[in-house]
Amino acid sequence: MAGVWILAENLEQSIELLTIGLQLAGEIGTDLAAISWQPETADDLIAHGVDEVILLPPLTAGQALEAYIPAIVERAQIDQPEVFLIASTLKGKELAARIASRLDAGLGSECQTLCWDAGRKSLVIERLVYGGTGVQKVCCLGRPQMATIPPRTFEPAPCLTGRDGRITQLNVSPFSPVTVLEKKAREHQTRDITKARVVVCVGRGMEKPEDLEKARELAGLIGGEVGCTRPISEEMHWMPEDTCIGLSGKTIKADLYIGLGVSGQIQHLTGIRDTRIICIVNKDENAPIFAAADYGIVGDLYQVLPGLIEEIKQVKA
Amino acid sequence: MPNILSCFKWVIDEAYIKTGPSLKLDMNFVDYKISDYDKNAIEEGVLLQEKFGGSVAVITVGKPEDTKGLKDALSRGPEKAYFVNDTSFSDLEPSQTASLMAEAIHDRIPFDIILCGEGSSDLYAQQVGPRLAEKLDIPCICYASKIQVQDNQVLVERKVDDGLEVVQAPMPVLITVSPDINIPRIPGLKDTLGASKKPVIEIAGSELNAVSARLETIETRAASLERSGRKFSGDQAGIKALVEALLKEGAI
Ligand SMILES: Cc1cc2nc3c(=O)[nH]c(=O)nc-3n(C[C@H](O)[C@H](O)[C@H](O)COP(=O)(O)OP(=O)(O)OC[C@H]3O[C@@H](n4cnc5c(N)ncnc54)[C@H](O)[C@@H]3O)c2cc1C
Ligand SMILES: Nc1ncnc2c1ncn2[C@@H]1O[C@H](COP(=O)(O)O)[C@@H](O)[C@H]1O
Repeated sequence: MAGVWILAENLEQSIELLTIGLQLAGEIGTDLAAISWQPETADDLIAHGVDEVILLPPLTAGQALEAYIPAIVERAQIDQPEVFLIASTLKGKELAARIASRLDAGLGSECQTLCWDAGRKSLVIERLVYGGTGVQKVCCLGRPQMATIPPRTFEPAPCLTGRDGRITQLNVSPFSPVTVLEKKAREHQTRDITKARVVVCVGRGMEKPEDLEKARELAGLIGGEVGCTRPISEEMHWMPEDTCIGLSGKTIKADLYIGLGVSGQIQHLTGIRDTRIICIVNKDENAPIFAAADYGIVGDLYQVLPGLIEEIKQVKA
Repeated sequence: MPNILSCFKWVIDEAYIKTGPSLKLDMNFVDYKISDYDKNAIEEGVLLQEKFGGSVAVITVGKPEDTKGLKDALSRGPEKAYFVNDTSFSDLEPSQTASLMAEAIHDRIPFDIILCGEGSSDLYAQQVGPRLAEKLDIPCICYASKIQVQDNQVLVERKVDDGLEVVQAPMPVLITVSPDINIPRIPGLKDTLGASKKPVIEIAGSELNAVSARLETIETRAASLERSGRKFSGDQAGIKALVEALLKEGAI
């Protein structure tokens, strides 16, 4: 029986989970199983290192993924995995907490690093606390030891040739009292800001949605994407939520970040800390973002931005 | 008509945390606040009560000295507060908080809708809500951006990874709310004065079963974000100097 489990919610993130999952399985000396409800991905999962795909039956109409919780819990009680890793998507976070509760297990949320401590015989996890002011190092006391992991924390696991794995079909009837009446798609950013070399980030210093055009122009000029702070995506709904940068949004690893009218609260800064150069425009010289920036202009972005665009155009010409 | 219970946590305001020597967190001069997104849970409880009737209360698990949080929460509209407290209730991890709250609620507090924030400002584990639902064995709906009550059901719009879902569930139910669900009110002087007259029901730790932790904190250190920060003026000369610096860095 596999001692390391991953929840294979979507293929891309599952393959990232496999990188750390396989490493842990190697150190513990056990197999790796993926819990899946998508038979079409089983071959891919096996090719990337999964030993056993535990396959759940499709959902009936009106049911959502939480309907699988009882079956996953029941199986975990039989197989007794040592470690259970889940991608920290919205759904993943909900499922992880509910499964952990039923199994009376410890769960590290949104872990940035995970390693196996052979002495403790336990997973040691690092995660942010106090909005990103602190890093907390924890270990799980119960079993399984559970963790949710943000997308792109790990590189994808390589595809191996000629791997064999088994598929175990579970014969269960998933059910949840929460029924889905309607689904609405949300506006999505087509390009992924976590992969951009340059990110121009707009904050509440922007007065109206039309003004985002200027930020887009700057981004276009230097080959970048436009991201935003949480109020811009979530309160104003001026930008799609997958462009929000920070603790509850994306973490970027860009070469250059240009913040326009961003105050620099810790929850936002946490998402840009891995950026090589942080450059900002803010009219308040006491804004906290100045302390976290490499270069800053103290000024009104409505004056600075056009000037900046002009200057870059000139040096590029 | 629903009995509504909003859960809030009284937390250290992270803005007051300083970095001490060797990346130690310096908590000597901290102040406390209601966890930011729990204000949305309290506000939503009050709004639902205004719209659909019933009652609205708040509950918190904390240390006996956390009474300032109760006043703050009550000034935001709820009728009463349940205060689950004990000197040992500091640095609880999410499974402990959920277990204590579940036991406190189970036999003592009437509820049809329990509201939680998206995540607490200090731990941001996003666990206590869903764990509490499991402990109470009630349906759970996470990341709600709209809630309605109809007969014995709730109709909720929730965020999912690829969009929104409108879902329905029977009461009693636990719902975690997304911060865009409402804009929390700012209590006035009258609200603050009124809050001291509202009832606080204490539930002592000694009335509850002890719960052991499922996570152990090995250490917490500061995550320093400081950079050298060169400032330029907002005029033509400043912009020119900035662009030059960025070119020199090879950033543009
Ligand atoms: C648990 C939790 C998680 C969170 N997660 C995130 C997250 O992932 N991402 C995130 O961004 N936030 C997050 N937040 C919110 C965060 O705390 C801040 O509220 C938010 O980042 C502030 O956004 P802002 O800088 O756009 O707005 P504000 O704080 O309002 O700042 C606007 C800034 O613009 C400046 N300004 C105004 N006009 C001009 C002008 N004309 N020219 C130049 N400058 C101007 C002002 O001086 C000010 O500094 C989270 C909060 C909590 C509690
Ligand atoms: N000590 C507490 N007392 C009351 N409610 C809490 C407590 N801790 C967490 N909660 C609730 O659970 C939510 C999620 O917390 P967390 O799992 O710590 O992110 C918070 O937004 C609160 O609504």
